[in-house]
Formats: sequence, C-alpha cells, structure tokens
Amino acid sequence: MLPSLGFWIKTAFLFLFRSGRSTAVLSLMLLTAVATLIFLSALAVGISDAMIRNSVSLYSGHISGFALPQALKRENLFVEGVTNVLKRLSRYGILSNEGRIETVVLIGIDPLEELKSAAIWKKTLKGKYLKGRESAVFLSRPLAEKLDVEPGEDLRFSSGPGAASTRFTVSGIYQTGIDQLDRSIAFCPLAVIPAGAETWSAAIFLEEGADPESVISIYHRALSEEYDFKSWAELMPDLKQLVDLNYISMGFVTVLVFGVVSLGIACAFVIFILKNLREYGIMKAMGATPGEMALLIVAEVILMNLAACFIGVLVGVLAVFVVGKTGIDLTAFTSHNRYFTVSAVIFPRLTFYSLGLPPALAFLGSLAAAIWPAVLVARRKAADVLRIV
Amino acid sequence: MIEGKGISKEFRSGRGRVQALADVSFSIETGKAVAVVGKSGSGKTTLLNCVGGLERPERGKVSCFGVDILSLSGKALCLFQRRNAGFVFQYGNLLSYLTVFENVAFPLTLKGIRGKGKEKRVQELLERIGLPDVGAALPHELSGGELQRVSVARAIAHSPKMLLADEPTSSLDSTTGWNLIELMFDMGKEQGCTMVVSTHDPEIIDLADASIHLRDGKITKEDR
Ligand SMILES: Nc1ncnc2c1ncn2[C@@H]1O[C@H](COP(=O)(O)OP(=O)(O)OP(=O)(O)O)[C@@H](O)[C@H]1O
Ligand SMILES: [Mg+2]
Repeated sequence: MLPSLGFWIKTAFLFLFRSGRSTAVLSLMLLTAVATLIFLSALAVGISDAMIRNSVSLYSGHISGFALPQALKRENLFVEGVTNVLKRLSRYGILSNEGRIETVVLIGIDPLEELKSAAIWKKTLKGKYLKGRESAVFLSRPLAEKLDVEPGEDLRFSSGPGAASTRFTVSGIYQTGIDQLDRSIAFCPLAVIPAGAETWSAAIFLEEGADPESVISIYHRALSEEYDFKSWAELMPDLKQLVDLNYISMGFVTVLVFGVVSLGIACAFVIFILKNLREYGIMKAMGATPGEMALLIVAEVILMNLAACFIGVLVGVLAVFVVGKTGIDLTAFTSHNRYFTVSAVIFPRLTFYSLGLPPALAFLGSLAAAIWPAVLVARRKAADVLRIV
Repeated sequence: MIEGKGISKEFRSGRGRVQALADVSFSIETGKAVAVVGKSGSGKTTLLNCVGGLERPERGKVSCFGVDILSLSGKALCLFQRRNAGFVFQYGNLLSYLTVFENVAFPLTLKGIRGKGKEKRVQELLERIGLPDVGAALPHELSGGELQRVSVARAIAHSPKMLLADEPTSSLDSTTGWNLIELMFDMGKEQGCTMVVSTHDPEIIDLADASIHLRDGKITKEDR
C-alpha cells in the first residue's frame, strides 16, 4: 500500500515551514505581484467606472428611455438598482433674439431632481442654473453665441414661424465639451414648457455596478416590450470599447507579469531544490518513486504559492480599501478628455475580475513553475546526488 | 542470499574512463554480516550501490533474495527498495526538515504502516538506540554519533531484508564508531537482516561474519 497524497502534502508543508526564511523570501515576489496586480486591476476598474460615471452622470444616465407615453409614470421606473429617474420633455422650435433666430430643441427638466443626479449644472459657464418654476432657459454656449445673448437677457420661443411665442429669460450658459450637448439645446423647467407632444424621455441612474441590461429587461417584463430603453453601452459604443480595451490591456499586463513571475519562481525553486538536493536523494534511496518526488515538489510549490497568494490578496485588498476611501485625483491627466468632464477622481474597486484574475493566474503560473523543479528532482539518480558532499 | 555475477561498472568523468568495478562476483548468505574492505577509490561505494539498486552496472547480474533487481523497471525497483533495503551512508543520512521521529517513521510510512503501530515501533527503536527522548529534535540538534545511531534505527525501522551501510563510522571517533557498529550488527541480527558494510576499519572486519576485499574494482580476497 502506497502512502497517501496527504503524507506527501504534509511532508511538503514541513519542508516549507521548517525552512521558513527561504520560503518567506521565495514567496515575497509572488506576494508582491499578486498584491500589486489586484490593486492595478481595481484601479483599471476604477478608471472604467469613472469614465462611465462621468459620461452618464453628465446628462444621459445609465439608461435612456425614448418616446415614453404619458400613461407610463416616472414612479413606475424605480425598480431594484435604480437610484433616480429624470423626466424630460422635448419641443422643437425657434428661439429668437432681436432678429437672430435659431432652430433649437427646448428640453423641459425638473431642475431639483436633475441637481441630484445629472451634473450638467456643474458645467455652468456664465449666470446660473435653472431653479423651480421660473420662465428661464439654460443654453449651450454655441447657441448663446449664435443668438448673441447673455444671462439676464430675454428670448422668445415659438414652435414654428407664425406660431404663438413664449418669453424666457436666459438664466445661465453651459459648456460641457461634448458635441451632442454643446449644440442648439436649451433647457427650461418642466413647469413652464409650452404644450406639445405627449411623449417624454427618461434618464435613469443606477447604483454603482448595477447592470443596465438587466434593469432594461425588468422594464420590458414588468411594463411593456414596446418601450424603447437603451443602455449607455448602446448609446456610446465608443465608451463601451474604451472600457473593454481598458480591461483587456489590464488582462495582458496581468498575464505577462505572471508569466515573468512564474519563471522567476521556477528559477528560485530550482535553486532552492539544488540546495536541498541531498534530501531528495535520501528519499529516493529509501525507495520513493519519481512520481512521488514530483508530487512532493509540486505540493511544495503549490503550498508556498497558495500562502503567498493569500497574503498578497489581503495586502492588495487592504491597499484598494485604503486608497478607495479618498480616491486618486487624475485631473492633470484628464483635463482635455471628454470622458472625464465631471470629475477625474478614480476610486479603485474590487470586482470578480480585479480580485479573481491575479490569484487565478498566479496559481496557474505556479503549476507551470513546478514542472521544471519536479522534473529535475524526479530524474536525478540517488547515487549521483548522494555523492555530492 | 545476495548474489553478484560478473558486475562491471564504468564511469566517464573528467579523468577519462574509470573502471569502478571489473567483473566482480560474490555471494552473501542470508542473515550474515559482510564487510567490504578496500582503499579509497577501490569501488566499495559502487558495489553497495549496485546491490541496493541505486546504481546500474553495465554488465552482470545482481540477485537479492531471488529477485533479479536489474530486470525491475523504475517503479518496481523503488517498491522493492522501500520494502527490502535500508541504507546508512557516511554522513547526512537524515532529512533535515523532519524531526528524528518523523525521519525514523519515514520508511514505515512508505511501506504503508501508520497510526499507533508506527508510533510504537519508532519509540521502541529510539529506546533501543539509547536515545528515547530525541524524537522531537531536528537532526541539526544532534551530535554526529547520535545522528548515525538514528540513521541505523531508520534504516532498520521497516525490517528490511538487507541493510547496506557505506562507511557508517568514518565520520566518528573510534570508540563511538565501534559502539555504532556493535549496535548495528546487534540490531541487524535481531531483525534477521543481511548486512553489507563497507569500511576502511580493520576492526570491523573482525566483527563481521565474512569480508570482501577490493582493489581497483576487483576482488582480491574473500574471507568466510
Ligand atoms: N559518478 C561517478 N563519476 C565518475 N567517477 C566515479 C563516479 N563514481 C565513482 N567514480 C570513480 O569510481 C571509482 C570507485 O569509486 P567508489 O566511490 O566506489 O570508491 P570507494 O571505494 O567507495 O572510495 P572511498 O573509500 O573513498 O569512498 C573511483 O575511482 C571514483 O573516482
Ligand atoms: Mg565510498
């Protein structure tokens, strides 16, 4: 009867444990790599989060609803994962100022609710953002320039040539740096928007990490298949690609680093084993088979790496936690970037990807790293080993 | 019975070819203690290694208790060794990361003996070698003589049919060496082991039942 797997694992553990200092030194590289990559992956997630947060929080939300009927109430859209729903009404028409006229989209918003979730008010260039129910508009800078108006001056809106017009005071002028918003758009409070089409649109904001697609499918199941909801990924495919690219490049880095680290571990282990070669020679002289010797080495490598991974994960998580409290301000690197229009503070975040990938790859790498030393020991003849003084 | 017939072993090294054993034949009766004597480089270690299956001669036949060990494949040879052979080397016999107890228990575990039976056997052996309290110590905490005594206990623990000792006393002073050889022969006889011991020491020859004298890889004299 051959001794069990447990015996060799126990022996491997004793070898590692009783040569504590060597083991600790050997583990250090892996420990650092795991901790660093967990932190970097969490940072990559944080950067993606920040880009998405910036892009959706400015105006559109994680999900946009189009041409929603009046029968559908704003309250109906609050489901699990939804933090806010902004109701908006659009009117196409003409804004005029002393002979200058521009075709515009006038969008009615609830100024107070918008303040809570959307960040466009932070982009106020001149004057003030809207409040309450006053008959005022908040214009994009290009539009204000074309109409040649300043905050405090009056404008007239009509739905077409010859139609009745409504007077609005310019309360403020904004500039976001994003083309789709810095167009002929004017915002006014919902309360004062001229009568018009019956449908409304929604900007739906979600909790961090909630999946827009699953919220949309809840809407479709609970409300109606007819409603037109689109996620930010659908509306901003460029951002979606950028986020994916961010993950993929991080994945590449992780794979490469663990390739190098595994080779380092294999080399270090080979030295460790050469140093202790006599031990393996004695076991072989006692009749341990090459398979058992290989098992012992693999167990040593895996045990050491599991311990190093475990501590590395703890250190990495701790780093993410500490940095996550304050965030890292990358404004200097993002000020000309349209994906960071609102805030460039990055909060590293642990996900399945950022927490799982580094240890998983470290483990695979350690298996690969065990091959060379295991073959080395399995093939050495006991007589040759024991001859070495 | 351990039998060697026409064993030749050649090494290639920086010095060119060395004929470590040249057409060596011998037979050792079961239960006997045989000394292998010769100057340094005469081929003693090589002979013991060939008998124990650690070295494979180019020519010849080695038969241990009816088993032609050169015909055994790698794994079968390992299994044969763990059941039937115990080794004592010149120095550094013990696994340095295992305690004395774990070292002596190692061949028992390899043979599949566990639990209470194993513990009892190890303790008995430690008492027999006069070191009942060293079980928990690590090898580096023992003296050279103590280490060799533990090595003998380990080599014999699993009651092998043959005990092969390669200059077990050469790292010890003469009294300690003498005591060790006596202990080893006594314990080997108690277990019914066939013993092959290589040595420079003429006194050991007197204690042994027979001796094989080597010079330059050839047998020059056999005493019974
Ligand atoms: N692996 C090897 N490679 C090259 N030469 C070897 C090898 N093993 C043994 N030899 C040579 O074979 C000869 C016999 O060696 P062996 O070790 O058997 O002698 P020995 O009688 O045990 O010597 P000692 O008393 O010094 O231990 C020596 O000349 C030695 O140099
Ligand atoms: Mg020798």
